[in-house]
This record gives sequence, C-alpha cells and structure tokens, in this order.
Amino acid sequence: MIAAAHTDGTIALLNLRAQIDGLGHATAEDRIALIDLLTLRGLILGHIADYERAEEIAERLVRDEATDGMALVARARTRAVFHRFTDALGDLDRAERLSLDAEITNRERAAILQGLGRYEEALALREKAGERRASFENVAALVGLHAERSEIDAAKRLYAESCIRYRGVSPFPMALLDFQVGLMWMDQGRLEDARTSFNAACRRVPAYAPAQGHLAEVEAEFGEIASAVARLYPLALSSDDPDYAAQLARILGYSGRVYEARHWRRLAAARYDELIARHPEAFADHAAEFWLAAGADPGKALPLARMNVEVRKTPRAYGLLAQAVAANEAAGATPSWA
Amino acid sequence: MSDHISGPRAIADPVADITDVFAFPAPENPRHLVLIMNVFPYAGPSAVFSDAVIYRFRVRPASIASNRRAFAVGADEFTFDCTFDVPDGPAQQGRCRMPNGEIVPFRVNDANGGSGKGLQVFAGQRSDPFFLDGPMAEKTIATKKLAFKEVGSDRLYGKNVLGIVLTIEWATLLEGGPMCAVVGETLTTGKRPIRLERVGRPEIKNVSLGARIFDPVNRDLEIRDLYNSEDAFDLSKHYVGAYRARLNANLAFYDGLDGKTDWPLDEHGNHPLTELLLADYLVVDVSKPFSEISYVEIEQALLEQRPHTTCGGRWLNEDVVDVILTLYVNAGKGPRIRDGVDGPITWSARVYPYMAPPNGPEASP
Repeated sequence: MIAAAHTDGTIALLNLRAQIDGLGHATAEDRIALIDLLTLRGLILGHIADYERAEEIAERLVRDEATDGMALVARARTRAVFHRFTDALGDLDRAERLSLDAEITNRERAAILQGLGRYEEALALREKAGERRASFENVAALVGLHAERSEIDAAKRLYAESCIRYRGVSPFPMALLDFQVGLMWMDQGRLEDARTSFNAACRRVPAYAPAQGHLAEVEAEFGEIASAVARLYPLALSSDDPDYAAQLARILGYSGRVYEARHWRRLAAARYDELIARHPEAFADHAAEFWLAAGADPGKALPLARMNVEVRKTPRAYGLLAQAVAANEAAGATPSWA
Repeated sequence: MSDHISGPRAIADPVADITDVFAFPAPENPRHLVLIMNVFPYAGPSAVFSDAVIYRFRVRPASIASNRRAFAVGADEFTFDCTFDVPDGPAQQGRCRMPNGEIVPFRVNDANGGSGKGLQVFAGQRSDPFFLDGPMAEKTIATKKLAFKEVGSDRLYGKNVLGIVLTIEWATLLEGGPMCAVVGETLTTGKRPIRLERVGRPEIKNVSLGARIFDPVNRDLEIRDLYNSEDAFDLSKHYVGAYRARLNANLAFYDGLDGKTDWPLDEHGNHPLTELLLADYLVVDVSKPFSEISYVEIEQALLEQRPHTTCGGRWLNEDVVDVILTLYVNAGKGPRIRDGVDGPITWSARVYPYMAPPNGPEASP
C-alpha cells in the first residue's frame, strides 16, 4: 500500500479558515458544520475563542432547532470540550429520544466517557463501532483510548492500522493522532518517542499549537532550552490559551531568566483566573498544574485539582490531586482530601 | 447541489470536492473547447488548491453507437493534469501537464492565466455558477411530492468556488472526431494516485443516486464514495449492479411525481435513462456551434433516434436543474418542472475565463 501525500499544513489551515469564512449560518446543517470546523481550529491552533464561538452557536442552534437531534449532538460536543460532561451526556440522551441513530450518539458518548475516565464503557462503545465498520475514524478513536490508558502495544498496532486506513488528503486527522500517541509516550516518560510523535504532528501541521507546546516541553526536559523557548514564544504571544505562557514562565524560571519568567507568569495567572471564572471544569486541571509549577501557589492549585477529580476520575486527575496535596503538605498547609 | 458535498469523503476534503464540470465550444472561437472544473464548495477568501491533489480532466473520443442507443467511447485518452505548489506568500503557482507532456505554468488568480501550444489555463477563486433550491429538492424526496416553490431559495447564492478553466484547441490537442466525452477528477498525488472524486454530469450523486429510501437492494448503503472512486469509462462489474438498482429506483420515483409514468421500465426493471446516466461523462460535439441550452440534447436525440442538433456538453449559465427535473419527471413531454431558482448571483461571461469573479462576503445571505 502506497501512502498518499497529504495537503501541506499551511494550505490546510488556510482552507480551514476558508471553510469557516465561507459557510454562513443559513441552515442548521451549516451551523453544525461550522461548530465542527471551529472546534477543529480550536484544537489545532489552541484558540479558546473558537471553542467559545462554537459553544455560542451550539446554544443558539438548540434554542432554534429544539427537535433536531444533530443540533443536540453538536452542542454535546461543545459542552464536552469545556468538560461539561454531564450536560453533554444529557444532550445525547435527548438526541436519542428524538430517534437519532445510536451510532451517531454513541460515537460522541464514547468520547465523553473517555473524558470522564470511564474507560471500560468507552472501550465497549468504541470496539463495537470498530467491529461494525473499521473506518479510519473508528480505528483512530481506539488509538486515542488505548494511548490514554497507556496500553502501548494496542495503541501502536492500531496507529499502524489507522495509517493504512486513512484515505483523505487533509493532514489534520493524522496530526491529531500523532499528537495523542506523543502524549502517551510522555506519560510513559519515553521522551525520545514523544519527540518523534510530536515532530511528526508538527511536520504535518506546523501551526499545531498543542503539538508545538508539548515538543517544547520535551526539548526543555532534554535541556534544549533555547529551542523550547523559541518554540513557545510565538505561541504565548498569539494563543489565548495560557498554557504556553505558563510553560514559557516555567522554563525561563528554571533557566534563571527570572525577570522574563515573571512577565509570562503574570500573564498566565491572569488568564487562568479569567478562564476559571468562565469555564471552571475545563481549565481546572491546567490551572492547577500552573499553580503547582510556575505559578508557585499550591494553595490555589489544591481546590482546582480537587474540582478536576470531581469532573473526571482519570488516573491523570488523581495524580494531579496527589501532587497538589503533597505540595501543600510540603508548604506546611494541612490539606483535606475530602 | 450539483456535485457539492457528494459523500463523506468530499465533506472531509472540500479542496478535492468537485462541485461541477462544464464542457462547451468556446463562444468566441469554435476552434476551442472549454473545460471547467470547480472544487471547494463555500470557499472563503483564503481558499487555495491543495498541493496533494491532481485536478485532472479526461477526454476521450465519443460517437453514437451503431445501435443508436448508447455512446461508443474510444480507448484513446487525453488527460490534462493541473497541480499546485504550496503558496509562496499570497501567490500560488500551478502547472498543467498537457497530453503531449508539455507543461504550462500559471499563477493562480491571474486573469490571463498561462498558455502553451493550443492551451490556455486559468485557475482561481470565482463565483459559484451553480444554482438550485436544495432544501426543496430534499423535501421532494422526504414528502414524495414536488415541493418546489414559484420563487425558490438558493443556498449557493453569493458563494464561491475554486475554478480551473482550460481552453483547448481541440483539433490540435485532441485527436479523433469532434465529439468527445469529458470527466473531471481529483486524485491524490504520489506514485500511485488514488481517485478521490469524479464528475461528469451534474446531479448524478446527489439528486439521482443520493436518496436511499427507494432502493430495494441497498437501502443502507452510502453509495456515493464508492461511486466517486470508480473509473467513469470503466465501471467495476462488481458494483455496477448496485448503482443500477439505485438509479432505477430513484428515477422511477421522480417519474411518478406527476402521477403518470413517462418512462416505463423494461422487462428487467431498468429505467430507460439508467444506462445513459451510468455513462457519467459530459458528451460535447465541438463541430456544432456554442449553445446556451444544450445539456443532454445529444442524449435526448439518441433516445429519440434522431440526429442531435446542438453541441451538447454543458454551459455555465444553463439551468440544468430544471432540465434534469423535467427530463426525469415527464420526459420533456409535459410542462417544465422548475425549482424556482433561475440563475446564480452573477451570470458567467461569454469570454475567457468565462466564470464571474468571486463574490464578497456581503453577497451571502
């Protein structure tokens, strides 16, 4: 099987913008497509404003088209992005009551269950979908799930299968997949492998912000500070997601560039506070990570880490809470696990 | 919509989604054949061609078969492959490989385009020339009644596409007779290109093949991706039965919309138009003068066992939806079936590069 070439990432991004700009709001179908496109751009560029716009369109859409099951599915997707998992599951249940095909709702439900850390239920749905149709989308979804569960062999095998099954020319699906595998390697501490995967994602789509951000994190771990900082600067400047400013503050701080670090720390702190006020469930984990690292305020991290565990009971969430508790204990506070 | 969004794969990759193909003798010069392929439905201003897609025109000599019931398409083929670079700044460069291997370079959105021996090429963003009341077409299927209004609503009004326009000195570049069959395709680049889409006639995939509810054989099958991957000149014998069954069922549905049968099925249940539509390419006769209303005239002449009188093919401004509906519903024996949308936002011109310039954002409803 000869792998087909994919559209250059710069072109793909121009065309994603062209799709968003050209679509309009004339019909429910247009608005659902727009929600998906904005969500994709949010994911690639790390643009929270795109997620918020998608959420706004989805809320209005459901108000206008209360009996349209697909509108509810679209809103469920935007709610899941902001970790409003219970609301999202409620939308899917409503969509099903409107007789929407369970194959569609279950695809979304599996992603939400995965987000909640209910891996066995997510796996059952994903495997059923894969058995019914071993399409790229279904196989790739299994890669993400196994990767998150650190089931390396299964993730690697299904990744290889996904590469064969992918028939499109858009570089986004494969870049997103490379990124998920990169996260798996990072969780395993296999930084060279993580670098390879994040590099692959960045080669496919150079503007892929989370992949660039994580690549910078890997580089920093390897002591390649100049490269990591160079990678993070444009992201910290352009993105409305404070993760990049937070990373930059952390790396600059470790490398003794305290004054610069302070600037980015201040920016990140203000932005996290803003986002926590608007989307508490969605940013609790990243904000907690920030306050435990560059933010240097474990007291602020702890309630956020606790909220995060309430929202999603994943190993990662418990790990973050344990970290927050330990940091507070070390700082002399007496945190409560409750 | 004509061939816009014609299946899951097209939705995933709009840059490879062919919306329409046109073929007509140049209005200003009968020695030239004009071929147009549009891609990227609802293209916003930043849209550019993919560097990973071959935009291909395939042309084969065609004639009326000796039984006068079908076309005979020759094995010789003339291909024009357009490919594009990653834009360097605001400008994107493209090139067209002619059947003789000659390469014609051009700059995207340059109104003068590029030219080689016997070929002129334009590529760039243009106003989408297609028009249709899509929601009412869907409603017609859902309600099983003609749902079109006197004044319809065009979802493509004010929208843009990426267009490729070739003006070909047909006598120089295309050997054989003046009648030819034309298909537009998008394929992946690479050593072994994979076909992503192919388009000949308008409204085959969406209007004619899209509805599943009437299909007695494959009611659950989204057939369009499969159909898109086929060679228009050599359909796979494994799947042609599925396409035939779908067309027979859907064409019979359209025929019944006026309460009478104008297209009786044969003893095998085949609709008289099915085989002609399965020959999914535009047939154009460049020995005839340019005509604004010539779509399927050659095919209708063939069915009526008479010589055709027009160039056939397809001109940009023709209201093909009305032509198709009238053909399907009453075989042209009754009143014209209108979808209530009679033109695009801007008419195409009779001079190169024919298609109207792109619309601004204020043009969209």
